[in-house]
Amino acid sequence: MEILSYDFMQRALMAGIMVSLLCSFIAFFVILRRLAFIGVGISHSAFGGVAMGVVMGINPIFTAALFSILVAWLIGVVSKKGQIHEDAAIGIFFSAAMALGVALISLSHSYNIDLFGYLFGNILSVSVEDLWTVGILGAITLLTLILFFKELLFISFDEEVARVSGLPVELLNYLLLILMALTIVVSIKVVGLVLASALLVIPAATGYQLARNYRLMLAISLLCGVSSSILGLWLSYQYDLASGATIVLCSTLFFFLSMIFSPRQKLIGRLIRSRLG
Amino acid sequence: MEGISFSVGEGKFVGVIGPNGAGKTSLLKAVLGLIKPDRGEVFVFGTPPSGLGKKAHHIGYVPQKSRFDPRFPISVYDVVMMGRVCCIGLFRFPGKRDRELVAESLKRVGLEGYEHRPIGELSGGEQQRAFLARALCSQTRLLILDEPTTALDMPARQEFYRLLKELKDEMGLTVIMVCHDLQSLAVHSDELICINRTMHLHGRPQEVLKSTHLLEAYHCEFDFLSQVKEC
Repeated sequence: MEILSYDFMQRALMAGIMVSLLCSFIAFFVILRRLAFIGVGISHSAFGGVAMGVVMGINPIFTAALFSILVAWLIGVVSKKGQIHEDAAIGIFFSAAMALGVALISLSHSYNIDLFGYLFGNILSVSVEDLWTVGILGAITLLTLILFFKELLFISFDEEVARVSGLPVELLNYLLLILMALTIVVSIKVVGLVLASALLVIPAATGYQLARNYRLMLAISLLCGVSSSILGLWLSYQYDLASGATIVLCSTLFFFLSMIFSPRQKLIGRLIRSRLG
Repeated sequence: MEGISFSVGEGKFVGVIGPNGAGKTSLLKAVLGLIKPDRGEVFVFGTPPSGLGKKAHHIGYVPQKSRFDPRFPISVYDVVMMGRVCCIGLFRFPGKRDRELVAESLKRVGLEGYEHRPIGELSGGEQQRAFLARALCSQTRLLILDEPTTALDMPARQEFYRLLKELKDEMGLTVIMVCHDLQSLAVHSDELICINRTMHLHGRPQEVLKSTHLLEAYHCEFDFLSQVKEC
């Protein structure tokens, strides 16, 4: 418990728990709607926004939020119009946004900013102000998700029938993309934008392996997210490892364990049967 | 597709038939408001499908089985409750009345006791009945089905038609169904519409199935001459 005697560790733990709760909740829809690649796209393109903030002297988190929402919207518009496939749209936008970020940073000649922190997270440098940002943005996102939960679930299960029954499917799809963008921006401080998309996938993928009901899947996703965050932070403190990477690796470990015990994979059953001959 | 014009009276069971690629699903989608026709108009309950607003609740839709992801972690009860989502409205959660209607729909389709089963673990026929229950629980007046029996074996198919006829009579539903099963449609439907890029026939099943224009629509003389005789 010595670990909690430091203020910065207390703040890191609070940020870690809040971000992992938020990410695991939205990951539930990312897995059910198969949006994992969009998650990767939005998180990487946040780099363009970070660079803009740095160049313009504005808090990079806010420019990253605007930029990610813009890219999420563009991906949605371009792929909806059917001019190019969604995966191609994501590939183009996220690499272009990252390239823009690198170009802007090279223009600004300001090498003193903590680029590594934005890319891979620096949870130990979370300030009280950061905690407020995470808390407020996180609360708005979480509340919106809860309020639109049944509609988003319907669209995830059967978009066409949802549309026929009168749901504003397009609007809800954009809403989900915007919430994903906000979640990614909020998690930059904890795991960095390169690894943020991992938290948008792995906890819910773990829940998906173990549960046959969405409520249980969501509960496992939240539990897995928060546990990886706490365990990852403790391990990174104990062994002096990069915190964001350790959290993601813990989450991956839970996922592999879930694969072994998954009723979907039936690995244990197959192993026992093969042993018994 | 062009030259398609028909109206469906309230309480009728209408079958839409035609060869693959004839535009049957596109026709249903136009009625459902999922696609807009380039020319012409579609009216459902006297309004274009896009302007139905709250009347959209009155349409129940059962899509083709292939669209559904069998690994989706959801119970039969929750799938049927989706039929109530639009009636419940935004920012609200299901109430007692919604739960009653879901239970009633499950009872109507004979899926009592299946509430907590994952939808993916049901047989094809049971899954279609669950989707039918979902389509029924939103004050439905018009039921639209797109090849609902394609993946079902013969007994499950017959059971599904029997149930559909029963529900139509009990609830006074109007039914529009795309289907390849001419024999069953001949028995259960009130009217048949035969299309192949254009409308070839619209009338009582016996008349449509015996018409020489039917062969024209299908561009072949396969075995439904024998089916017609059986009808």
